[in-house]
Amino acid sequence: MSIWEAAKVALESLRANKLRSFLTLLGIIIGITAIIAVISIINGLNLYIAEKVANLGSNVFVVQKFGIITSHDQWMDAVKRNKDLKLEDARAIQDRCRNCEAVGVEVHTYEDVKYGNQTVEEVGIGGITANILPLENYEVDLGRALSEFDVDHARYVAFMGADVGENLFPHTDPLGKQVRIGRTKFTIVGLGKKRGSVFGQSRDNYAKIPLSTFQKIYGSRRSVNITVKARSQQVMDEAEDEARVILRARHHLRYNAEDDFGIVSSQGINDLWKDLTEKIFVVAIFVVGISLVVGGIVIMNIMLVSVIERTREIGIRKAVGARQPDILRQFLIESVILCCAGGAIGIALAFLVSYGLSKATPLPSSFPLWAPPFAFAVCTLIGVFFGIHPARKAAHLDPIEALRAE
Amino acid sequence: MGENGNLIRTIDLWKTYEMGAEQVHALRGVTLEIGTNEYVAIMGPSGSGKSTLMNLIGCLDTPTSGEYYLNEKRVSEMDDDELAAIRNKEVGFVFQTFNLLPRATALHNVELPLIYNGTPLQERLAKAKAALEQVELADRMHHRPNELSGGQRQRVAIARALVNNPSILLADEPTGNLDSATGSEIMSLFDRLHQQGNTIIVVTHERDIVAHAHRAIHLLDGRIARDEPRIEDRG
Ligand SMILES: Nc1ncnc2c1ncn2[C@@H]1O[C@H](COP(=O)(O)OP(=O)(O)OP(=O)(O)O)[C@@H](O)[C@H]1O
Ligand SMILES: [Mg+2]
Repeated sequence: MSIWEAAKVALESLRANKLRSFLTLLGIIIGITAIIAVISIINGLNLYIAEKVANLGSNVFVVQKFGIITSHDQWMDAVKRNKDLKLEDARAIQDRCRNCEAVGVEVHTYEDVKYGNQTVEEVGIGGITANILPLENYEVDLGRALSEFDVDHARYVAFMGADVGENLFPHTDPLGKQVRIGRTKFTIVGLGKKRGSVFGQSRDNYAKIPLSTFQKIYGSRRSVNITVKARSQQVMDEAEDEARVILRARHHLRYNAEDDFGIVSSQGINDLWKDLTEKIFVVAIFVVGISLVVGGIVIMNIMLVSVIERTREIGIRKAVGARQPDILRQFLIESVILCCAGGAIGIALAFLVSYGLSKATPLPSSFPLWAPPFAFAVCTLIGVFFGIHPARKAAHLDPIEALRAE
Repeated sequence: MGENGNLIRTIDLWKTYEMGAEQVHALRGVTLEIGTNEYVAIMGPSGSGKSTLMNLIGCLDTPTSGEYYLNEKRVSEMDDDELAAIRNKEVGFVFQTFNLLPRATALHNVELPLIYNGTPLQERLAKAKAALEQVELADRMHHRPNELSGGQRQRVAIARALVNNPSILLADEPTGNLDSATGSEIMSLFDRLHQQGNTIIVVTHERDIVAHAHRAIHLLDGRIARDEPRIEDRG
């Protein structure tokens, strides 16, 4: 009996009883839908992270008071331990790190920005050295970026994000206009290109002003972020180590004490992300695994019913010469096809879910091409695993008794 | 093995069923020989062991004790899969209840034995069609059993039994579910098959059917009560 004929028999019995088939396959459908949807979302997030979050550039890292913190305990320790980073820390790195090409500094706060009677609330204000803009891939849309001259002379000029520009100057040219950042007046010298949003959070809601000006207004007690560019990607690790050693020396840390600052690189973000998605994946696999096992048990049950219902057919086949392996194969193929039918529906649903999610939410998702073959492989395994018992039962039926069945 | 050599040879066949503490002896020592191209009727009252004997001869079942040789091969010691191969190759079985696959067409039903011996598709179709022609059902080959009359169903079953050119054709009350006119139609088909050289064994209650056969074996309580060779009847 060929695979094709077994497939025909299986599909025919599926068609003959649509509702029962659907209920039978529900577990498999849910399982496969869930696993592929999760894979799609993680896959989409991966692309997203690679494209947007980790766009520091492969040879840039940032030293912060708190690096990436992933647990409450870590946070409590860091709060107790970590020191504010000072401008002098940045200078020390600039002076002594041989593998570092450029060092930029940025300080953050939030302020409302006003023009006339228009207000944009909670704009991220960054006091920066001029090299921050190129280091962090800000591009100029209108006017110019901040210059060294602006920073050296603590000028009251601002480079603004696209959102702020659009909201305050929907119809007029923003260049040269005076806006209020907090209570201080600044002249707009440039507008940044749109950077889009990450997880629904706009990345164009900023105003960059010279670091020196920032410190005049807000004082110089805040911790700074230090953005460092290594000479090349090859020396990235060395540059990071140098910066670490320099800061530890300045902070008088003992050799066995932990860093009292954090270093963030795109590598670091990627590692963290990988770690996170692996955890999501493990949980998802576990949940999906349960539903697949339940689905498999239902399939086994329905196959056992099928064997009983078709005892006579089995008897006829044996009477005309079907051997045990022939019958075994027929029922195994049938349960595999049953599972794969569920898998196919699951794949289609997952595709819809993944498409719908990416349309309706800021969650990106991308349906990977290897998902369908993967799903069919999983379904085949389930079909074989849960089909083997009913199939063996069918194969071992005694021909005489099978023929006598009603 | 000669022209009238022993196609079938059984020695002291016993078949015993355990019914709880009780033992039911369906066959109590059947010894018999049947040659090639014989036409044998097996008779006897209900429960005398006719079907049991047919199932053993047809390799559908194995004896509790005794020996059975088919074509000089010792069948009584074979396992399940070896028996399946023998059934496929040597035996054509016709049942009282037809035993066709209800969802398959006549053609597919007839193809079935060929599927299990790996005959290639084209050859399979050709042989199945030829077998259906032999029972004069070529025009019904795409019908399902429920679209056929009882006699036609039995003819499909006979075509299936013949399709592999078996050494023996076994029929257990093949006319039991048919009216007498259709029954005699089937019996004359058996006559013709016998004339073409087939070896035929038929279980029957009906006297006029026995007249077709050339030998009548009477069973009683699992034993052969009478064995009447009637070769001389034939011209
Ligand atoms: N599976 C079984 N379990 C127990 N006893 C059985 C079984 N099969 C047959 N028998 C018994 O064996 C004896 C012979 O049965 P068998 O079917 O061979 O009779 P038969 O001659 O074909 O009868 P009939 O003319 O009614 O078909 C009967 O007494 C029957 O009850
Ligand atoms: Mg009987």
